[in-house]
Amino acid sequence: MAKYLFNRALQMFFVFFIFLTSSYLLFNAMPGNAFQSLLLNPNLPPDAYEKTLALYGLDKPLIERLQLYIVNFFKGDFGYSYIYFPKSPVELIAERLPRTLMLFSIVNIFAFYTGFLVGKILAWRRGSKSETWITITSVFSYTVFYPWFALLMLYFFGLKLGWLPIGKFLYPEKWYDAPFDSDVIFVNMIWFTVIVTIIQFIAYVLTRNIESISIRRNIRFSSFILILIGSYFYWGTGEALIRRPYAADIAYHMILPVFTVTLLAFAGTALLTRTTMMEVLKEDYILTARAKGLSQKRIRDRHAARTALLPVVTSFIFTIVTIIDGSVLTEQIFSWPGMGQLILQAVLREDIPVAMATFSFLGIFALVAHFLADISYAYLDPRIRIKSQG
Amino acid sequence: MQENILEVNNLNMHYETLGGEVAAVKDITFHVKKGESFGLVGESGCGKTSVAMSLVQLQADNAKISSGSIKLDGQELIGLSENELRSVRWDGISIVFQGAMNAWNPVIKIGEQIREAIREHYPNNSKLQNIEKIKELFEMVGLDESIIDRFPHELSGGMKQRAVIALALSCNPKLVIADEPTTALDVVIQDQILNEIKKVQDLLGLSLIYISHDIAVIAEMTERMAVMYAGRIVESGPTKNIFSDPKHAYTRALLESTPSVVGEKVKLNSLDGEPPSLIDAEIGCSFSPRCSKPTENCKSGKSEMGLIEVANGHFADKCCVECG
Amino acid sequence: MSNSEKEARKKIRRAAINKNWSLFKQSRLGIVGLGIVLFFAFLAILQPILFLTGVWNEAVYDPVVGYEPERVNLLVVECPQQYPTEKYAEPNDCPARGEVNKVLVFDPSVSVGDYYETSLQPAPPSSKHILGTDSLGRDIFSQLMEGSQVAFLLGLLSATVGVALSTVLGSIAAFFGGRVDAYLMRQSDLVLMLPFLPLLFIISAFVELKVWHLAVVLGILGGLGGSVITIKSAALQVKVKPFVDSARITGGSRMRILFSHILPNVAPLALLFMVFSVTGAIASESVLSFLGLLNIDMSWGLMIYLSQTDGYIFSGLKYWWLILPAGLSVTFLAGGFYLVGRGLDEVFNPRLRER
Repeated sequence: MAKYLFNRALQMFFVFFIFLTSSYLLFNAMPGNAFQSLLLNPNLPPDAYEKTLALYGLDKPLIERLQLYIVNFFKGDFGYSYIYFPKSPVELIAERLPRTLMLFSIVNIFAFYTGFLVGKILAWRRGSKSETWITITSVFSYTVFYPWFALLMLYFFGLKLGWLPIGKFLYPEKWYDAPFDSDVIFVNMIWFTVIVTIIQFIAYVLTRNIESISIRRNIRFSSFILILIGSYFYWGTGEALIRRPYAADIAYHMILPVFTVTLLAFAGTALLTRTTMMEVLKEDYILTARAKGLSQKRIRDRHAARTALLPVVTSFIFTIVTIIDGSVLTEQIFSWPGMGQLILQAVLREDIPVAMATFSFLGIFALVAHFLADISYAYLDPRIRIKSQG
Repeated sequence: MQENILEVNNLNMHYETLGGEVAAVKDITFHVKKGESFGLVGESGCGKTSVAMSLVQLQADNAKISSGSIKLDGQELIGLSENELRSVRWDGISIVFQGAMNAWNPVIKIGEQIREAIREHYPNNSKLQNIEKIKELFEMVGLDESIIDRFPHELSGGMKQRAVIALALSCNPKLVIADEPTTALDVVIQDQILNEIKKVQDLLGLSLIYISHDIAVIAEMTERMAVMYAGRIVESGPTKNIFSDPKHAYTRALLESTPSVVGEKVKLNSLDGEPPSLIDAEIGCSFSPRCSKPTENCKSGKSEMGLIEVANGHFADKCCVECG
Repeated sequence: MSNSEKEARKKIRRAAINKNWSLFKQSRLGIVGLGIVLFFAFLAILQPILFLTGVWNEAVYDPVVGYEPERVNLLVVECPQQYPTEKYAEPNDCPARGEVNKVLVFDPSVSVGDYYETSLQPAPPSSKHILGTDSLGRDIFSQLMEGSQVAFLLGLLSATVGVALSTVLGSIAAFFGGRVDAYLMRQSDLVLMLPFLPLLFIISAFVELKVWHLAVVLGILGGLGGSVITIKSAALQVKVKPFVDSARITGGSRMRILFSHILPNVAPLALLFMVFSVTGAIASESVLSFLGLLNIDMSWGLMIYLSQTDGYIFSGLKYWWLILPAGLSVTFLAGGFYLVGRGLDEVFNPRLRER
């Protein structure tokens, strides 16, 4: 086991190194550079352009720059953004990341939960007329042309009905004399969501072993009610009370993007769950469960869905990996200034330090997530678990 | 006279397939007395498992019972709603499945899967009570209580089979159906399992239906039996009688094809041909293509089909009795 | 191989294809999907036919350079500053159909109330143009058909490249194991690490992305990524089957085993992947065109891009023919391929069938 971990870590490190090098070369190979727009200025002093390049070290030969960058990278020095100077990429990421995370974690939680539920029910009702047509509808919601659909939603709910804001994540007027930065509020909201989710998760895990089904359900439901009451009090007192209107503003702006993206994202999970469940339902142990006299619901949830959960969880982890990649388009359309937009801008305007930093961030994230997915799969399927120990 | 724990009368069941209706169970009538073990024997595909599944209404989605009656301890099972059936399952009739290897959900511990069944029918038991019950059952079938916390893939075939038996007994059923429970096991384990089943039956006074294609096992395990061919019962009666004096040509062929360990070495008598396809409608006796002494009546169907009593409790298909 | 053997093989293959087809027919999803795909394929073929047979005048109906020269008479109006008035409810309603705003008429001799002859672009659907025209006077329906051609071409090409790549790599990884496997896994890790959209932005800075180039790029990216892992696990399951062992014992070379045994058994899964890849390719192309990154003459994504840059997207349903047909086409064709894939799934995986 330890040997495997060690080998894997070594490989990941190696891959990352190649990734760093090739990304750097790629960015530098792109025609032009970040400061070319200076040349458009007719009043530019004579060597201003060359001096600027020298200031940022862009006049040194490529190999030397590459070496410098890599050495600095592993020292933890990521340079400064060319565009947002003097902000460092780390600051920028810290600023933008919570916004993306907030939006997309909510989306993913909703999408996976809904998708799993729908897929479960679809597989159970195999063969009925409604199943076919709901499946086909899910397929089309999966393949719908996203920018087009998002724009239509924006138009309909934002412009025509005027119910929801059209873009951005807050109304600047409301924040005019705010005592806080938006980042603070975002971080606050994220922590809140995380803690709520953890509490509910703990409630589920602790009640796993309770014998009676009805008592179990009651405890879980009451924990949910407790959370609701707790949140009410939390946001109603002290520091949180002051932050509440700002948090509410952000939440209000989140409604449309979350709704739109969830509508599209749930279908993927639903279809995957449906296929996996359909395979599981033909297994012998489902027949045994029926023979035992268990209710349909229990067979579906406890036996079939549990096994179908494995591939769904793996796909969930892979989706987390592509959160930021997927956010690029959404953030463009809804003008949500998050990580996706940051990357896009950095790439377009050749802000190399920021581009490298964000790519590295994504790269590490992807490597680690893939690794975690391998491990969690082994955990969820006890057959693999035992084999890898033996 | 003992009461009958199970009475099946004129049961008809067919599968709806793309190729047409396949009649799997044709006009089956038999009964099982309380505390006795009843055997059902026949080739693969003759309908034995279909009968078993119909008893607990667990047939596949495209299977339909077209007519007949199934009475468990006096209660009619056909026509019950799904909820009512669910309470009969396991509590009234339980099954030891063919291929117990796959009867277990691989990601849930054995003990939990048994407790689940108990919980369904005895919801007021505490966890401790249930575990005690399982320990008792395991002792009965010869399993160590540490098995409770294990996963199915950690057990050997024989252990899984014993666990399935324990599972079948967990809700004190009135009737247990054992569908080829030892087919996939080696003979040594098979012997052990069969002994366990006998022991348990004696201990608990269970009524048992034993289904197999192995006539030797039926001989050892059952008091009364029925022989099935192509969806029909062709002969039924006390096991001893059928073995000593088989009336139907098929029964005779079955008995003759079993090699004997004692005596001279003789060439095995195997039965030529195949069982008929159940899609086609029957003309006459379905066994006639393979019968060694068919008469005109057998093939054309002029003589009536149907069981008649040849001795006390011993029934056989009419035409075969007549042609000897 | 003798002749009779060849005959026998052909017969078996034909029987197998027939059987698979009847299985496929059973799947409602598959049939619906197939219908959709065939419909769009028909559209793709229809266009050159219409041109070649002269039914359509190329000068007018060409999707890229066509122009509708017809002129109509429009009533000149002056749009008020305040809304609502008795004639118009919203700013959007003025000028209404059949009217033109005075400020757009550059002829000083024309005043409000006159009729002015001009060409009206974009024109609403009419008997001459079933789906109307866009702001440059090009027939929308023709554009739709052209886009259909592009979608098929791009989709099938990139899917083929991608699947060929991932099947070969996945099988090799499964079969040879050890270092080869580790290397290939890390390689697909590398591809997974790169963010898709930004990467395509970068690529478009180097290379002018025409249809062929884009297809190959999408194919390579798709083929080297996560699909290698999936094919590999399928190939692993085949590898442990007894017939592979018997092939090795009888002295088959490794290459032969790879090609004659493992690949054919992985083929159904690969076929499935291919169909799903087409879905992804169509979607990717539309998104990239929408963002203006591609150098394609006409595609569905481009149609939406143009209507967005011309500002018609937020006009609501007034210019629906500019917005809806293209978006719906992308949705339906991609969905159609996906449904076909689901239908094929039911053919290959007996557990998913209903009966």
